[in-house]
Amino acid sequence: MADNHRPDGIVLTEAQKKSRRQRSIAIALALGVLVLLFFAVTIVKGPAVLVRPL
Amino acid sequence: MSVVDHSSIELSPRISEAEVADYVALLKPRVMSLVIFTALVGLMIAPVHVHPVLAFTSILCIAVGAGASGALNMWYEADIDALMSRTANRPIPRGRITRAEALTFGMTLAFFSVMTLGILVNWVAGALLAFTIFFYVVIYTIALKRWTAQNIVIGGAAGALPPVVAWAGATGSLAVEPLLLFLIIFFWTPPHFWALALFRSDDYARAGVPMLPVVAGPDATRLQILLYTIVLVAVALAPWPLGYFDAVYGVTSLVLGAGMLALAINVFRFREGREASRATRRLFAFSILYLFALFATLLIEVVVRAVLPAIW
Repeated sequence: MADNHRPDGIVLTEAQKKSRRQRSIAIALALGVLVLLFFAVTIVKGPAVLVRPL
Repeated sequence: MSVVDHSSIELSPRISEAEVADYVALLKPRVMSLVIFTALVGLMIAPVHVHPVLAFTSILCIAVGAGASGALNMWYEADIDALMSRTANRPIPRGRITRAEALTFGMTLAFFSVMTLGILVNWVAGALLAFTIFFYVVIYTIALKRWTAQNIVIGGAAGALPPVVAWAGATGSLAVEPLLLFLIIFFWTPPHFWALALFRSDDYARAGVPMLPVVAGPDATRLQILLYTIVLVAVALAPWPLGYFDAVYGVTSLVLGAGMLALAINVFRFREGREASRATRRLFAFSILYLFALFATLLIEVVVRAVLPAIW
């Protein structure tokens, strides 16, 4: 029944879409930095981690 | 058949329009910049070589941990922030971010900063960072701030810990030098914040925060500012005769300490009118310069010592 009232569900305004996109990009960048950080420290602290028996 | 007529319920979920800048504001960037600076000094004066990647990781984690503390502080203090002109523009009182969002954001950053510092650098630093966040949020913000006029004295320990965390990040242990930096910031905090509280006492009174000027009155606060400044100047000078920091630091500390003491005496002397207001604001402004210059001296000395042999 409720669907009859809101056939399109929640429709975001342009401002909401813009801010959500901004936040998504910021989260992606933060995760990217975290991955790079772990990679860089792995190289710095222990390159031997890459040389291991299969 | 349904007992509840769903057609009569209007669901209107809140959809955030918060921008990245609002989340950055939750991190208290100005406090964070001071934390980064003091932590950098703690890291640089450590008598070990730290790989730049590990140094960057340490400072980044400490900065993010400080940001997490700021976000969690704003989560808990949203009600009193709305009542004070200094803080009414923060993201939660303005309705940009909900308390739940700030709590989630703060906890996420706290978790990642501590775990990253522990895993990538060492667990002494990771544990100290966790303790710093805990102390600022639980001991200072939740337990002390609304309960006692000594809130910023005890709570100041959280703001004094970043150089200790950074030293631990570099060395994996503790020593006297970072504890001296801790003591300098610890004794610097009361005169700095009570000077602010003196000219913002109406704000704190309206919000019901028992800052010293609200509870004990401005005159008692002026005396406390003077007493803490005397202790601060002595503590900041002590590392020189004790042989931990050299003469350049000692002379700088002496000159800056004289300035700090003179301004604190003015705050004690001038109790009414524009003179009193000016004296308080001057001490507040100079206290920032005092701490910055003191720590900058240590930083410059380390850099000069590292660069000079390469030149000569």
